[in-house]
Formats: sequence, structure tokens, C-alpha cells
Amino acid sequence: MINKILETLYSKVFINIIVGDSKTTVYAQVHSKNKVLDSNTEEFKTISTSPKMLTFINSYTSQSPYHYISILDKSLNQGAVPSCKEIKKFIKDADLKTICISNEWSLYTHEEDIKTLRYEYKEIGLDFIFSPFKILTSFFKDKIDSTLAIFLLVQDVSMSLCIFDNSKMLYAQYLDMSTFEEEEDLIMDSILDEDDDDILEMQDVNLDDLDADMDSLEDFADIEDLDSGLDIDEFSEAQEIEDIVEDKALDIENINDDYKRFIAIQDSISRFYKDDKYESEFLEHIYIADSADVSNDLKKYLKEEMFLNVVIRRIGLEEELCDMAKAELK
Amino acid sequence: MKYSYIKPRKKTALTKDMQLLFTFFGASIFMLVLTYSFLVFKDYRFDQREQEIVQEKKDLNQDINNMKDKITLIEKQNMLSQRVFTKNTVLKDSISNLFDLVPSRITLSQAKIMENSLTLYGITPNKDIYNFMLQAPLRSIFNRSYSSFYPQKNGWYSFVSTNFIDEESILDENK
Repeated sequence: MINKILETLYSKVFINIIVGDSKTTVYAQVHSKNKVLDSNTEEFKTISTSPKMLTFINSYTSQSPYHYISILDKSLNQGAVPSCKEIKKFIKDADLKTICISNEWSLYTHEEDIKTLRYEYKEIGLDFIFSPFKILTSFFKDKIDSTLAIFLLVQDVSMSLCIFDNSKMLYAQYLDMSTFEEEEDLIMDSILDEDDDDILEMQDVNLDDLDADMDSLEDFADIEDLDSGLDIDEFSEAQEIEDIVEDKALDIENINDDYKRFIAIQDSISRFYKDDKYESEFLEHIYIADSADVSNDLKKYLKEEMFLNVVIRRIGLEEELCDMAKAELK
Repeated sequence: MKYSYIKPRKKTALTKDMQLLFTFFGASIFMLVLTYSFLVFKDYRFDQREQEIVQEKKDLNQDINNMKDKITLIEKQNMLSQRVFTKNTVLKDSISNLFDLVPSRITLSQAKIMENSLTLYGITPNKDIYNFMLQAPLRSIFNRSYSSFYPQKNGWYSFVSTNFIDEESILDENK
């Protein structure tokens, strides 16, 4: 009773943590009676905790005893299945933590991963761990209810893919991009063999060539360092070349990421078609919630290779996570 | 809406510091209230005692007045008793004197001693004995003295002697 009264007197602080490939984004929001008093986003170059992050979070959590820390589940063993009662039919693993949604489909993750996550963030403490699938389905709720389509949440190093047919889940898979790294060359080779047009495209994207270019440029830069001060024009010229190559490298890296994503999606969809456990449907649409700034190439690949109608919608994962935490408290 | 894999930690504004603070404040307020109630109770008791004492004082004053009245009454009674005693002594002396006054040959049958008078009834062998031995001393005491004789069969006389002392002479004596 006293706690309820006190709760209305204090503002609520929501801390939302999104872990990326090499950075962690923390979004803090101070909330009081349906009004946002303050919000701030900060990026930290760590995929775990750091003293700077702790200081930032503490500066907000110290404002109110009613602070809630949410994190997006980054477990590799998470996913969703189109059933609430027959989860074992899809996932054989034991020690699963499941959440049944609308009595039709379930979210799952490993108990062990939750423990690991809690241990990892024990200095901060966690209040909510949300599944990216729930974020995705909430984000595309309007489309899920009325279409048959693939829904995809793209994060820096992972993707959450699910297929819904008029709000009925058919298939879902969590795709971790970091595990694709090792298979990279193999995948690319297979693609090269498949399509001649792609060969032309891939020539630009050939990683070996790129690495060789980069190495030569690095050597060149070293030489420039030795000659620095002798000829300014030469130096600036070299700098320009270096900049151009760096930009190109970034583009190529982006294209490479998108390509990896495309391959992952393609694999996942082919698994959906092949696996008898899932009801196969012909898919024409894909809705992408993008939080990793995907380039148009992904759209192009999906259109040209899989003949899908692609809709990309930008998603603010931090805000969505914050909204989920608020909804969870109601 | 339960979409989180874990439950949120229990949140409370009542941190340990706050709890300690509230405990101390609570204890202080409790002690103040306790002291206040004690003082209020004591005040009430004092008022009650004061009223009792006032009532007692009133009763005692009443008692004192009653006792004073009683003392006055007793003093009066004492005075009265003394007066009575004095009177009785006087009377006793008077009677004793009277009997001393009466000679052996005269026999008294009745004597009425009044405030200002003395009436004697008796028998005398003859009038002379009466006149000389009783009449003479009575006259010296009383202002007025009257005697009547009635002859008896045996030759003796019954007599009635009435003697009076006047008011003025008594007042003169008291002065």
C-alpha cells in the first residue's frame, strides 16, 4: 500500500540495453505519469559492461528507486516455435524458458543463457529480458494480422526471422551472423557457381582482392610516412587515395554484410520449405525491421534472387524495448 | 503482458537508510507521544487530586465549623452544668442550712424550695418553740415571712410557713 503511494510520487527510469557487434547502445528514459521527462542514448565500445557504462546507468538509476533495466536477449539458442503445447516437436533441447503468446506460438531461450546474461550484467542488474521476436511481432503487428509474409528483424550481428500467415505463425528462426564468418568463402563460392551475373558483381566484392588492395595501400601509406615532409602534394594525393579506398572498403564491408544476411535468409527459407514440421506456404512478401542500416543491396538481392516484395522499415530498437518494458509494468 | 523471460526485481523506495530514518523518527515520535500522554494523564490526575483536595478542604472546613458549633454548645452546656452544679451546691447548702435551722423539737413534713420563696410544712409542740426557734432565723434570711397554725388532736400544731425574698435584694446581692 505504502509502496503503491510512493511509486506514484517517484518518476520511473527505464534503461534499455542493446548489444551490437562491437558496441553496446544504452538508452535511458525518465518517465513520469505518461510523460517523458528525459531521454538519452549513449554508445559504449564493449559488448559487455564497462565502468563508463556503469557510471552512465548509475547516473539515471540513482534518480529513482523505481528503475527498470531491460535487455534484448542475445542468446544464440533462442527462437520461436508455432506451438504452445508441442514445443518438444520443434526443439529437442532441455532447460528451455518459454513464453506462450496468444496461446498460438511460443518464444523460447535457454535457461543457461539467461543465467549467463544475468551473471554478465550482475553489476547493473536486469529486470527484463525480451526476445527480439516479440519486438518484431509488436513492430509489424498491423501486417502480421493481415498478410502472409516473412518478417525480419535485422540487428548488427543477428537476425530474427519469422513467417506469419494472417497472425498464425508458420516458422521462426534466430540467425546469428557471427557464425557465418567462417563459412563466408564457401557460401560465396557456391553463389559464384550458381549465377553468371553474380560473378560479375562478386568480382567487385571479392574479399581476397580487397584484402590484397588494402595491404598494398597500407604499404603505400608506410612509404608516405617515411617521406612525410618532403613533398606535401604527394602526401595529399596519397591521402586522397587512401580515403577513397577506405570508403570503398566500408561500402564493400556493408555489401558483404548484406550479402551474408541474404544468404542466411535464403538458407533459413529453404529450411522452412524443406522441413516437414512446418506448413509450407508460397512466400511473396518480406517485411524488414531494420536497426543496422542495411543498404539497398539486401533489397536488391531479395528481389532479384528470391522474387520477394521487400518493405524495409527503420526500427529504433531501444525505443521499442523501452515501450515493451513500460507495457510489461502495466 | 508478460513477455519478459525474467521477473523484475522488487522495487521499493524504502531503502535501508530510509527504513532506519523512519525507525528513528517513529521511535522519537512514539516517545514524544508517550511523554505527552504521560503528562496529559498526570495533569488530569493532578486536576483530579486538586478537586479532591478542594473538596476535602471544604469538608474539613465544614467539620471545623461543626466542631466549633459543638464546642460552643459544649461550652454552653459546661457553663450550664456549672451553673446547675453551683445552683445545686447552693441548694444543697440551703437545704443543709435549712435542716440545720430547724430545731429538733419541730418536725418538718414537707418543704418547697422555690426561686424566691420557701414553704415549710410541719408539726410543732407549741407556737412559741416555732416562733423563737424557727421563725426568728427565717425572718433574718427572708424579707417577708408568713406563718399559719392549725391545732392537732394531740395538742400540737401543724404549721405552714411561707417565706419570700424580694427581687431587688437578690439583684443587690449579685452586684
